[in-house]
Amino acid sequence: MHMANELISFPVAGVSIGIAGGVLGWICKSIRQDIVSEKAAVMGVLGAFVFAAQMVNFQLPLMPGTSGHLIGAVFLAVILGPHLAAVVLSSVVIIQCLLFQDGGLLAIGCNLLNIAIIPSYIGYYVYRLAAGNMQNKSRYLAGAIVACVIAALAGSAMVVLQTTISGVLLIPPVLFLATMAGVHLLVGIMEGMITVAILGYLASVRPDLIAGLTASRAVLSRNGALISLAVMTLITAAGFSLLASDKPDGLEWSYLERPEQPDFKPVVANSDQRMDAADKLHSKIAVMPDYSLGNTSELHSASAGWTSVAGIVGSAVCMGLIWLTAKLIRPRRA
Amino acid sequence: MNQAIEISNYSYVYPDGTMALDSINLTIQHGERVSLIGPNGAGKSTLLLAMAGFIRGKGTVLIDGMELCSRTLKQIRAKLGCCLENPDDQLFMPTLFEDVIFGPLNMNLPPQQVKDNVDRAFETVGLTALAEKAPHHLSAGQKRAAAIATVLSMAPQIITFDEPDGSLDPRNRKRLEEVLGRLPQTLIIATCNMRFAAAVSSRVIVVDHGRIVADGPAKSILYDKDLMEAHGLEIP
Amino acid sequence: MHHAYLDKYANQNSFFHRLDSRVKFLAALIYTILILSIPPRSAAVVFCYVVAPFGMLVWAGIPIGFVARRILAVSPFVLVLALSCPFFDQTPYLLRLGDITFQLSGGWMRCFTILAKFAATMLTLFALTCTTRFTDMLAGLQQMQCPSILIVQLSFVYRYLFVLVDRVHHILRARAARKLRYLGLRQEIRIAAIMIAALFIQSLESAERIYRAMQGRGFTGSFHALKPIRINRRDIYFIFVFIGICIFLHSIMRIWLNELNGV
Repeated sequence: MHMANELISFPVAGVSIGIAGGVLGWICKSIRQDIVSEKAAVMGVLGAFVFAAQMVNFQLPLMPGTSGHLIGAVFLAVILGPHLAAVVLSSVVIIQCLLFQDGGLLAIGCNLLNIAIIPSYIGYYVYRLAAGNMQNKSRYLAGAIVACVIAALAGSAMVVLQTTISGVLLIPPVLFLATMAGVHLLVGIMEGMITVAILGYLASVRPDLIAGLTASRAVLSRNGALISLAVMTLITAAGFSLLASDKPDGLEWSYLERPEQPDFKPVVANSDQRMDAADKLHSKIAVMPDYSLGNTSELHSASAGWTSVAGIVGSAVCMGLIWLTAKLIRPRRA
Repeated sequence: MNQAIEISNYSYVYPDGTMALDSINLTIQHGERVSLIGPNGAGKSTLLLAMAGFIRGKGTVLIDGMELCSRTLKQIRAKLGCCLENPDDQLFMPTLFEDVIFGPLNMNLPPQQVKDNVDRAFETVGLTALAEKAPHHLSAGQKRAAAIATVLSMAPQIITFDEPDGSLDPRNRKRLEEVLGRLPQTLIIATCNMRFAAAVSSRVIVVDHGRIVADGPAKSILYDKDLMEAHGLEIP
Repeated sequence: MHHAYLDKYANQNSFFHRLDSRVKFLAALIYTILILSIPPRSAAVVFCYVVAPFGMLVWAGIPIGFVARRILAVSPFVLVLALSCPFFDQTPYLLRLGDITFQLSGGWMRCFTILAKFAATMLTLFALTCTTRFTDMLAGLQQMQCPSILIVQLSFVYRYLFVLVDRVHHILRARAARKLRYLGLRQEIRIAAIMIAALFIQSLESAERIYRAMQGRGFTGSFHALKPIRINRRDIYFIFVFIGICIFLHSIMRIWLNELNGV
């Protein structure tokens, strides 16, 4: 799920770019030693591999014409370890933005967090905890499924968190979360099944690959894993308890009366301190402060209506002219 | 005067136990053009990898009189350039220019010389106009030429080629023959194409089952019908 | 869409293609911020912002049909979320044009604004990416202090993307030629997994050969900086025009919004 620019506010975009950039910079610094060896080539090729692997689709049952594909975050995290996987997946996200135009420029921080960084770390640590010491095959395969499901859920929860804090959408966070979690539960199970199938196949044909790549990381401090899991859980839980207590879309409705319900008392505007703060921040940061539209009793003046139409028509005429001049000036290419 | 390459009593066993090279003895003079021919899996590529120091077996390899070991590896790689079988492996940078300049930059040459080397390499293979292109925009023939340029820009004395004629159409193969013909370096070319071998080399070495089974002037070996057929080859 | 041709327009040559990638990158960023700062119920305003990136794309010779198809391809997520708005804000607003009046709920206005902004920021992103070669973009990012590991990683991914995508096309073709019916989920997943695993093994093997090629050419662990890029006169013109457009649009918007508010 690539986040778009339009779904988040500037503070959310800025903070997530800051966090993602910081984490990425820190990882890059800490893997500097690793990268000297052939890992540079391995990481690069595996980044390209993610794109290629995502093209291998498989038909889904029940819904004809639909197909699923691997996302690859947990697979890479299991094979490469969380740091390298995070860098590889981050490069994939950046290329998706700059080459495939998937995900917005300002939303890149959110996308890096939701798609690359959080799934590789959560996926890896959940897998490690669940899989134990890699001795028992069915246990580490089950671990991979659990890791995929949790990583998918974490990513989708982040999407909900970011959009809700931004307040661009009006959908109640709980409903949004339930929908996203439902969809991503299925996505995660699919991802888990295919990840397990790949790992199982690799383990049977090229056990050396799996062993060679994971051996160096097999010794992982269990405490480290537990602490990072606990921190992530805390952050997520705190975020959601904040959301759950909020009135849905309090930010916008609080200003408005509802004509269809004469008895409706406007929610006391800005009763919520946080909303008040967010609102002030928004009006400070926004280049154009939000203008308040009146309700039905205050109709738009005719001229304003016409201005809008003139704006749209004028823009369309401009674009038409640009297109025509370009057609006339440019010699036809064969 | 040193020999370009001197290999004595060299053997290499794959990790799975297969004997890839079996007591190879080989001397190549400076300026010689040698073809390594043999059936698939004979050990041609392995021999080329051994010359460039990518694999270590038993026995000694001298490149321009210098023994190949981890201490001399860097100097030897400046003397001996190797052109791998698949140009997609060889061209790993996003544009041709960056790829061709990659080697010279690693050699710490003065900037002017780097530039000269790169320009000359592009000119030799005839790709000057395509320097800013990305490899995936090139045809198979252009990729092959570009892969050669990446090695030429390092100005080595010796160049090894692994199946440079692979997947080339006759016209591109002809062009490649001309490019190779213009090179002043010592060339060692592994190939399965006898006509190509006859066109580019004066000396031919037949390798089979990891051994050198014949070594001599191209004309007499390539037209020895019995020898060629005994090793799964054909006369040109 | 064949991925190998995705970036073909970026390799053309026009005034906009020759601009410094950093200038274009920052311009796209600023323009995106401007678009996003338009208030949530003013779809009409967004239209004026579409003109400039549209003009840049057209004058740079990028087919608009291609851009439109690509924007549609990446839009489903935004589309679904934007369409959820009308369900949650049904406050009616009246718009009047002379004697004609429309009634529109706040949710729909919000939905249209989100979609219009999406189209506008996407056009901006296309105006950047379709006129900038990826390698120039990387050189620009490197000069803007992006970590070098990330730059190297990105250039490798970009390079091998096309190689592996070609390979995967061959594999997919081979499967399509022989798999003529639905085989059940279990079997489908198994086949896909084996294909992906094979691709993975091939990728690791080619990484090994690539590393060999790097060593063969004296790689010692550090990549040398790409050639430096410099701002030239062309870029200065672009910057001035860009700033002019931004100020123009911004002040027009202010006047317009004030008028809408009846000030």
